[in-house]
Amino acid sequence: MNYDCLIIGGGISGLTCGIRCQSAGLSTAILSAGMSALHFSSGSIDLIGYDRARRIVHSPFEYLKEFTGAMPDHPYAHCGVDTVREALVFLRDTLKAEELEIYDNGERNHFHVTGMGTLKPTYFSQRSVFNDSIRQAFERRAKIAVLNFEGYRDFYPELAISNLLKNELFKNVEIVTGRLVFPDYGDPEKNPFEYRSIDIARIFDTIQYLDEIAEQIKREAGDAEFVAMPAFIGINNYKKHHQILQMLTGKLIYEIPTLPPSILGMRLDDALKSRFADLGGVLIAGDKVMGGDFLDGVLDHVHTQNYGTTRLRARAFVLSTGSFFSGGLVSDSGGMREPVLNLRMSATSPRNTWYSPQFLDRKGHPFFEFGVETTGKLNPFDAEGKVIENMFCTGAILAHYNPIGEGSGGGVAVSTGYYAANQIIKACGK
Amino acid sequence: MKRIDTEAIVIGGGATGCGILRDLALRGIKAVLIEKNDIASGTTGRNHGLLHSGARYAVNDLESAQECIAENRILKKIARHCIEDTGGLFVTLPDDDPGYHRKLMEHCKYAGIPCEELSVGKALKIEPNLNPNALSALRVPDGTIDPFRLAAANILDAQEHGAKVHTHTFVTAIIQEGGTATGVHCHDTRTREDFEIFGRIIINASGVWGQRICALAGIELRMFPSKGAMVIIDYRLNSVVVNRCRIPSDGDIIVPGDTVSLIGTTSKRIEYSQIEELNVDDGEIEVLLADGEKLIPNLSRTRVLRAYSGVRPLIDVSGDVDGRTISRGIVLIDHAARDGVEGLVTIAGGKLMTYRLMAQMAVDLACKKLDVSRKCSTHREPLPGSELTMLPSKHIKYFTGIPQSVVGSTLYRHGERVRQILSLSKHNYALICECEMVCEGEVEYAIRNLNVKDLVDLRRRTRIGMGPCQGELCSYRAAGLFTRLKVATSDESNGMLIDFLEERWKGMKPILWGDGLREAEFTYWIYQGLFGLGDVAMRGEEGDK
Repeated sequence: MNYDCLIIGGGISGLTCGIRCQSAGLSTAILSAGMSALHFSSGSIDLIGYDRARRIVHSPFEYLKEFTGAMPDHPYAHCGVDTVREALVFLRDTLKAEELEIYDNGERNHFHVTGMGTLKPTYFSQRSVFNDSIRQAFERRAKIAVLNFEGYRDFYPELAISNLLKNELFKNVEIVTGRLVFPDYGDPEKNPFEYRSIDIARIFDTIQYLDEIAEQIKREAGDAEFVAMPAFIGINNYKKHHQILQMLTGKLIYEIPTLPPSILGMRLDDALKSRFADLGGVLIAGDKVMGGDFLDGVLDHVHTQNYGTTRLRARAFVLSTGSFFSGGLVSDSGGMREPVLNLRMSATSPRNTWYSPQFLDRKGHPFFEFGVETTGKLNPFDAEGKVIENMFCTGAILAHYNPIGEGSGGGVAVSTGYYAANQIIKACGK
Repeated sequence: MKRIDTEAIVIGGGATGCGILRDLALRGIKAVLIEKNDIASGTTGRNHGLLHSGARYAVNDLESAQECIAENRILKKIARHCIEDTGGLFVTLPDDDPGYHRKLMEHCKYAGIPCEELSVGKALKIEPNLNPNALSALRVPDGTIDPFRLAAANILDAQEHGAKVHTHTFVTAIIQEGGTATGVHCHDTRTREDFEIFGRIIINASGVWGQRICALAGIELRMFPSKGAMVIIDYRLNSVVVNRCRIPSDGDIIVPGDTVSLIGTTSKRIEYSQIEELNVDDGEIEVLLADGEKLIPNLSRTRVLRAYSGVRPLIDVSGDVDGRTISRGIVLIDHAARDGVEGLVTIAGGKLMTYRLMAQMAVDLACKKLDVSRKCSTHREPLPGSELTMLPSKHIKYFTGIPQSVVGSTLYRHGERVRQILSLSKHNYALICECEMVCEGEVEYAIRNLNVKDLVDLRRRTRIGMGPCQGELCSYRAAGLFTRLKVATSDESNGMLIDFLEERWKGMKPILWGDGLREAEFTYWIYQGLFGLGDVAMRGEEGDK
């Protein structure tokens, strides 16, 4: 099999890269081993949320100018601020084409509420998580009702509210809670008290329960003007059903990201995959790259678990297999490595310095910053230290950034995927 | 100041203190137990959970060996639900002195410990993961014991017989009147309340911390703490206890327990001032993994889940301060005779295996002083949960509708009390911790009946957060339940969630590689990335300042 571009890793970085390549007319394939980190994400895209002193960043692009100057190895410095901006516009337009509407705050960060009631600066959110009506209601100090299904184990409104009320922004806001009960739909095989967000999303996706749910929302929310619920208001029909629910209840209904599985992340995943397929991209799901061979200093082909001896060839390869969690990087008691091609890693310190003494250290642990070393063009080095010109690394596999500590995970994934695509398109003469 | 009057005051909620409280209660003596942290949070909860046959001591310490086999037989009767009668092997490897095998057999015979010689082939049949290059094997009646369950069951029985328990409570002073200890001054670290308890006898069962308690009474007692490190492996690799057949040394035992296996232990003398800040260093981990792998080669391909250490309370019996006469045996001190302080008794030394015997010895002395003639019955009265009234298959039938895995796990952890825990309401058996099959009903039962004050306590009673994921989802869920059950405010639940994650982190840091690192990345992603919990933690710290 032969492609212009073969992308290994089907997370947000690989998908962004693939969509960009395919839309420029390159024949593109994405190999994906399984569910990506999107399924565990907040579903918002963070660009840069915190500066190096852990202060909140309000104008990310302005801050990035100074930041990339001071951090020359940072993936954002490799991409350049203009490319980062372009990449995010590209992502927003791509999602819009799939009718997934994104809220942006005109080049400024906004906050989304977390499941623990803390506020997180982010750049893009889905419109069910943040939009101008929510902002206005909030500015009016409108009463909020946080509603949850009775017995849903993965969200406890009381814990979130107690933290929210400690925030200056929520001073004098009245927040109440209420309980919804699952609509009666016979005797389900699975214990309803073990439902995860995905099970509840399926209920919302089914139109016949909406009236009953709307009645319950009205009753429980009382005179609250807006209603917050864990993000489980459907996957396939969420947009329509969200509107119907708002209409039936006369209330603003908005979603709070939950424990995984992340319905918000799954919507992004679905939209991006659908876009890639619509453009004619090839998605090879459930397969894993086992290794590859070089010819004349460039990567000639890779082979996978399922294709066995069949070689997958491409003019350019992208490795976006994620960090340790996703298996893009592995470690043992002796050190860390990149398992597919043994690419050169950034210098890693002794094992007892990989982590911070406190688990909840807000700076993030040092191990987050380890990863594959690349050139400014995102080309990795082979084990001998030679640059691999037809290969690019993007997303969480990269070294020199701290996705959670900086609040930059989504932004780096999208920007590096987009930046790699630009170079591949150019190299292929398109 | 609040004042409590009782007959006996027990200091220390380890296995020994819990055993003493139960023994006192069963003999009809009014008693109160004070524990500075949680039940089984000290040395009791930080060992390898071996139900000794005594074979390990047979060659060097006949007295301990005999005590062990006697208590082994008793515990198999009275503490069924805390014990697994797995059996144990002593295996000679090519590096080991082959003569030790014969020596061990002879000494076991002398101590009255059943010890059977097996062919290596038979040993491999019993334990397929065993090193196939083993030279010889012996079978002894070792087993496993869950120290958390054991301590909690003793407390539960004591409370059901009228005893009182104050956990998270420090003793700040021993009250004395004319050369007699008459009570203790306490501080509850959770309610921040000070109070006094008065009684006719005080039993100091605080293990290695006993030196401090004695110091409060103006008595010098020297402890020689010895640190033992252990590593937990994320699978139950062996079904029987596997011992290395050699002179006791580091890394010579692998104990299966619940869903995991545990490699023990190292031994390192530490300064008394270090007993609160125990850590495990890379060297200890290397030794344990390297030696463990010799016994069970598969171990090198298995994920390491945690590393932790405990401190053995070795005591100097002579008053001699250089520690030459340290005993590993049981030490019962009547401070009236030794130091002229009436009303105070210290019980120390010994081991988890002999907790009941130690309790009996201490309470016998207390009874003499209180002039109570009732005899000890703890060797024949089963602990709550261990009254074998129904076979496991009957329980499964009794709870038709509830997944067998839930019934089985609950029964395994709480024995016959399963019937107070599970109900057919779907709410009740919804799983909170999928790794260890802990359902909502078990969480509620533990919070309401087993002196659980926070998430870390809950872990000790239920195994929540002890499985492969180390509390990824269940810790948040359980924290939420504390508020939902109205036993904690939201702020308290948030605080205990933070404390729990930090406590789990302590045992993960030393072995942070491979899948452990992946898990940690994911957990951090959830609690800081998705929840921003570090912001709440930081606010808490600022509030304290």
